[in-house]
Amino acid sequence: MNYTLLKQYIDVVFREMWQRKFLCLFGFALISYSVLTIGIFWNSKFEVSTTIFADNQNILKPLLAEQAAQSQVQNQESVVKEMMYSPRIIKQVVENLYGLDSFESVEALGKKINSLREKLLVKGVGLNYIKVSYSDTSPDEAYRVINGLVNVFIRTSADEQRSQSREAFLFIDNQVKQYKDQLLLAEERLKDFRTLNFDGRDIDVDNSISNLSTQIEELKIELDEDQITISILKKQLGAESEFSSSRVQTDVYGERLADLVSQRNTLLMTYTDDYPDVVNLNYQIDDIREAIKEAKSESQSDKNDEAKGDDAVLNPLYQELRSRLSLLQTEVKTKQNRLAAFKRLKEEEFERRKRIAERGAEESELTRDYDVTMRIYEDMLERKEKARLSMTLNIEGQGVTYRIQEPALPPLNPVGLRFFHFVLLGPFMGLFGVIGLVVLYVMLDPKIRFPSMLSGLNVVTLAVIPHVKTPFTKRVVRFDMVLCGILALLIMVAYIGLAYASKEGLI
Amino acid sequence: MKDLNNLKALNKNTTTLDTSAVIDKMGEVDRFSIEELDRLKLISGSMQNSKILNVFRELRTQLIKTSQKKNFVCMVTSAFSKGGASYIATNLASVFALDKSKTSLLIDANLYAPSLERLIIGDSNAGMTDYLSDNSLSIKDVVYATGIPRLRVIPVGDNNEGAAEYFSSNKMLEFIDEVRTRYADRYIFIDSPPVSESSEARILSEIADMVILVVPHGGGSYEQIETAIQIIGKDKLTGIVYNN
Repeated sequence: MNYTLLKQYIDVVFREMWQRKFLCLFGFALISYSVLTIGIFWNSKFEVSTTIFADNQNILKPLLAEQAAQSQVQNQESVVKEMMYSPRIIKQVVENLYGLDSFESVEALGKKINSLREKLLVKGVGLNYIKVSYSDTSPDEAYRVINGLVNVFIRTSADEQRSQSREAFLFIDNQVKQYKDQLLLAEERLKDFRTLNFDGRDIDVDNSISNLSTQIEELKIELDEDQITISILKKQLGAESEFSSSRVQTDVYGERLADLVSQRNTLLMTYTDDYPDVVNLNYQIDDIREAIKEAKSESQSDKNDEAKGDDAVLNPLYQELRSRLSLLQTEVKTKQNRLAAFKRLKEEEFERRKRIAERGAEESELTRDYDVTMRIYEDMLERKEKARLSMTLNIEGQGVTYRIQEPALPPLNPVGLRFFHFVLLGPFMGLFGVIGLVVLYVMLDPKIRFPSMLSGLNVVTLAVIPHVKTPFTKRVVRFDMVLCGILALLIMVAYIGLAYASKEGLI
Repeated sequence: MKDLNNLKALNKNTTTLDTSAVIDKMGEVDRFSIEELDRLKLISGSMQNSKILNVFRELRTQLIKTSQKKNFVCMVTSAFSKGGASYIATNLASVFALDKSKTSLLIDANLYAPSLERLIIGDSNAGMTDYLSDNSLSIKDVVYATGIPRLRVIPVGDNNEGAAEYFSSNKMLEFIDEVRTRYADRYIFIDSPPVSESSEARILSEIADMVILVVPHGGGSYEQIETAIQIIGKDKLTGIVYNN
């Protein structure tokens, strides 16, 4: 809307007002006096407020942290609001302040409770700080109610806190008992199972099988070795004669002689013949040669007496070989028996392992049950002790709670609109109300008030005749203005008089 | 209305004082003083508020242009009652009379709220309706001089019964023809009743050469004006004058 159009509208509005000046004056007076009348009957409100600091932690939360799904802890403002507005608390306040007997009926009591609730305002003013306000027409009443309300609230919340922590303890205690029973049951089942099943564990059987296999392998190798030894011994026995001969002795002495001669020659390369060792060797050589001679002569006589077997000597090597063969054969027999026993044992172990595998699932389930129950039980025991501590703290009043941060003060001045405001507001409301109504009238009334509105008629607007102000009309206007001014003055004088009289309590 | 009565009373006093002069000078009449012009809301060449004078002069120029410089019969009617048609008609006639080469005749056909008698210096015995109903009267008997030079007025008269029929009579046509043709420099203006409230406006529009529709400020709605235009007919309607 441009300036010209706005000015046109303003002109039109004031022109309409001037045309209906007495009606406008009447409207002005009516609205002003109505506002004043409202002001006279308006009850000033006194507001008292107090700030509560809420340090309330839900006691179940830390206790049941990971063990149970915990409902979301509400914010303090809504918790306090919920409690403050609850009929239980307000009824208690009404009872404390007025006594239940002072109400004639249940309806009257209900009305009082509702009126208290309507005048109450609870709102959060920061983290854990809650402002509680109460407004009433009487400052004393407002002060009494807010104090009564806050006292009841703090006491009730402390009681609830205690009962809550007690309930939490009882709950956990009950849970502990249940878990203990469960644990005992799981233990019993596991015990029964193990009593009925001796097969032991997988790992034991595996170790046993492994040991047996190793032993069997070792036995097999030993047996193979023994078989080879037996066959060699048998060959050797076949080669040796049962009785020994003198020629053999001669051969033995000859080898000895050659050995000694060789030693003496070696020494003679370094020492002389009279060196003790050489001398000693010479003696030994002589002895051997002597022995050889004897042996040769015996051999001659042997050949002569060959037919006679009585003088034959048993061959010691042969005897030895026979003895060893016999021992070895006994040993092989024993080992073969042992091998068979091991194999049988191994078969049994395999059977046992099969049985263990079949019952393994059942056992692991029982074990798991037992382990889980055990862990929870131990945890619950710990929490039970915490709950006991919290409960004790709360009972002694040491636990988390609400406390008054900012105590209520008796109100000195009313809040909101007062009589004074209404007195001031009346003339303004009257003036702007009338202007507003005229503006509304101009906007809604379809009558032509601007020449520009004729443009749609397709007829030439020949002229726009301005409003004529002749000296005579000016005089008339001046007279009307004075008259209106006097009337307005009278209205205002009466208005102020009425306001003053009302304030002084004259009416 | 109170103002109007006061003015009438004032006029009566003036006329009594000047009666002898009227008789003596035979047509020579006194002129309105500036104060009287102010009271009657009449424009004059010497008026202080030149803005209004210029508006009417401009209107005069437009009408002369429309009539192609010939004299004409112009009916001035209002779309609604109390629309100021008489004021516009009077001042239009006055502004034509300001031109010394022109004269104007103002016919009061506003049967329901006649107002032009106040312009007459002296007594008015008969008017338009008397002339139409009484054959013994001549035109001279009903044309009166006013306090404005070169402006003559025919008042309504006293015989208002059946006036609508008189306006549509042949005598009326002859009368109009007569006054128009007698002087080529005479411009005739008819102050008609409002269109919305009478049938006379429609009858008179038929005998007029052009019609001016006065739309008063806050007088009525757009639709009502449209209806008024339809009643008059667009062929006769020269234009609208918006009266603040």
